[in-house]
Amino acid sequence: MNASASSSATPALHMVGVRKVYRVGDEEVVALDHADLTVAADEIVALVGPSGSGKTTLCSIAGGILSATAGSVVVGGEEISGYNDRQLTTFRQNQVGFVFQTVNLVPFLTARENLLVVDEMGRREGKPARARADRLLEELGLADRAQNLPGQLSGGQKQRVAIGRSLMNEPGLVLFDEPTSALDTELGAHVMELIRTEMKARGTSAIVVTHDERITEYCDRTVRITDGVLEA
Amino acid sequence: MFLALKEMRRAKGRFGLLIAAIGMLVFLILFQQSLQNGLLTSFVGAIRNQSAPVLVYSVDGQRVIQGSIITPDLEAEVRADGAVGAVGRIGQGTFTVSAGGEAADATVLGYEDRALGAPTALTEGRYPDVAGEAVGSDADADDGFGIGDTVLVQPGGLAITIVGLARDVQLNAGPTLFVPYETYVSAVRSVNPDAGQPLPNVLAVQPADGRSADDAVASINSRSDELDALTRDDAADETPGVAQVRQSFTIIFLLYGLVVPCVTGLFFLIITFQKSGALTLLRAIGAPAERLVGSLLFQAVLIVVAGYAIGLALYTPVSQQRLGGIPLRFETGAVLFWAVALLVLGVGSSLIAARRVLAIDPIEATRGGANR
Ligand SMILES: Nc1ncnc2c1ncn2[C@@H]1O[C@H](COP(=O)(O)OP(=O)(O)OP(=O)(O)O)[C@@H](O)[C@H]1O
Ligand SMILES: [Mg+2]
Repeated sequence: MNASASSSATPALHMVGVRKVYRVGDEEVVALDHADLTVAADEIVALVGPSGSGKTTLCSIAGGILSATAGSVVVGGEEISGYNDRQLTTFRQNQVGFVFQTVNLVPFLTARENLLVVDEMGRREGKPARARADRLLEELGLADRAQNLPGQLSGGQKQRVAIGRSLMNEPGLVLFDEPTSALDTELGAHVMELIRTEMKARGTSAIVVTHDERITEYCDRTVRITDGVLEA
Repeated sequence: MFLALKEMRRAKGRFGLLIAAIGMLVFLILFQQSLQNGLLTSFVGAIRNQSAPVLVYSVDGQRVIQGSIITPDLEAEVRADGAVGAVGRIGQGTFTVSAGGEAADATVLGYEDRALGAPTALTEGRYPDVAGEAVGSDADADDGFGIGDTVLVQPGGLAITIVGLARDVQLNAGPTLFVPYETYVSAVRSVNPDAGQPLPNVLAVQPADGRSADDAVASINSRSDELDALTRDDAADETPGVAQVRQSFTIIFLLYGLVVPCVTGLFFLIITFQKSGALTLLRAIGAPAERLVGSLLFQAVLIVVAGYAIGLALYTPVSQQRLGGIPLRFETGAVLFWAVALLVLGVGSSLIAARRVLAIDPIEATRGGANR
């Protein structure tokens, strides 16, 4: 997929008027309000905002982990706002990739198995999935770490395994929630470079959530969020 | 079952411990099954495996052969009953005998007719043809009660030669000799020359043609308050002590039956809690909850099967042994019953953990968690 073709293609994400209200006891917390966001195919968008501003909420809705209270969410041409739990599970299995803020790896699986488990729990392709896992580990510089358990990996290596994991189902959109927050500046830069390379090589779109302005340099565009409201 | 097997491989210790624990429990359950059956058989096998379908006791005998005495009046009552066919006398005594040069206590059971109180089948040899011959219990064959052995009833020295052996025909957990009635009478007299003609202890009854054993029992019992007729199996089961032994073992089995699902259920609940971070992550990246549950149940089945195999491997050699004179046996029925029961209980108990898995909300994966 090349850049000129992808720009005219279906956007990876198209959110219109998305609102998310959490109910805590009798109180309502508006985590996201009137959010409109379009991420073009092949585009890497940085989502920047202070803590509690709604970044994780937005990613969760875009990734089909959380249902919006109102609004329309279209991912890769697929309208997911009305989906039930089962449909959302299938959607996550096939259409999006995640790198979470905290837990990212299954502790009792090796690096390679953490990639393969995506296939085992999903499409069960077998051989092509194993080939894909090996290629991803190679690209991420983890070929010699494939048989290590997460406990035997450094923070940066773990994060690279998580990136590989997020690409195993060949998603159109990957959601990175603070992928570098646990890494020092140098490692963070290296991981962001890897993310950019991997995304661009595949024509995959991404939202990269961050606090860190320096990270935005690796993205095509920056979107800011404050108190659940997006500003261009 | 990629996930299930990988996890077990990476946590060999804890899964191994659980398998070993289940193996031990299985062994204990099966062993106690053999023990219960061996114990009961050695106590009342002679009643269960003798040929008369109905046994008639005197009420004051309280269903113990040796305590029951059939007076001529009572015997006449039984013989007069229309539901009763052939009737034979049975006399029983416990004697000190010298067998293989050593003194032992032996039960001697005298019967008049092979169809009325002799063992139903022999494992070896033949039935007595003449006075002074006996069928012995095969469990005691090696203790001087084998075929061709002659034991001497003491004091008095009456000789009884064993010509046949039968399985599971002990009474009161000791060597048991089935002899012709006159040999029994001779044994009583050899010990006590003044005994005269001893009264029979119980009567062995065949129902009349066309009548069932239950008919005969009901008919005899309605004739007299002093007669206590029982079918063969009831006579064995109602022997004092049998019900209590059964009850005690039943309680033990119930406890084991509870421990196994408690152990497996708790184990899976704990490991499900411990790996809830990983399970949440898997749900978040699109793993269907059913597949995670399937993986859990697969582990439960595997663990019960492996535990059972270990228990069975320990039980098999032990079940061929004798335990303090009680011959144990490999109880195929119990092995099958417990295999199914423990599989159902073990897998059933892991359903509690499965409910936890089903309740996982993938959104938790997006939040800060302790399980980094
Ligand atoms: N399950 C929930 N119940 C109630 N309120 C919630 C829930 N999840 C999030 N919130 C609230 O919604 C708002 C947005 O939360 P969110 O996690 O999206 O912020 P964030 O921008 O990702 O923050 P951070 O940078 O700290 O990760 C916050 O005020 C938060 O307290
Ligand atoms: Mg967040």
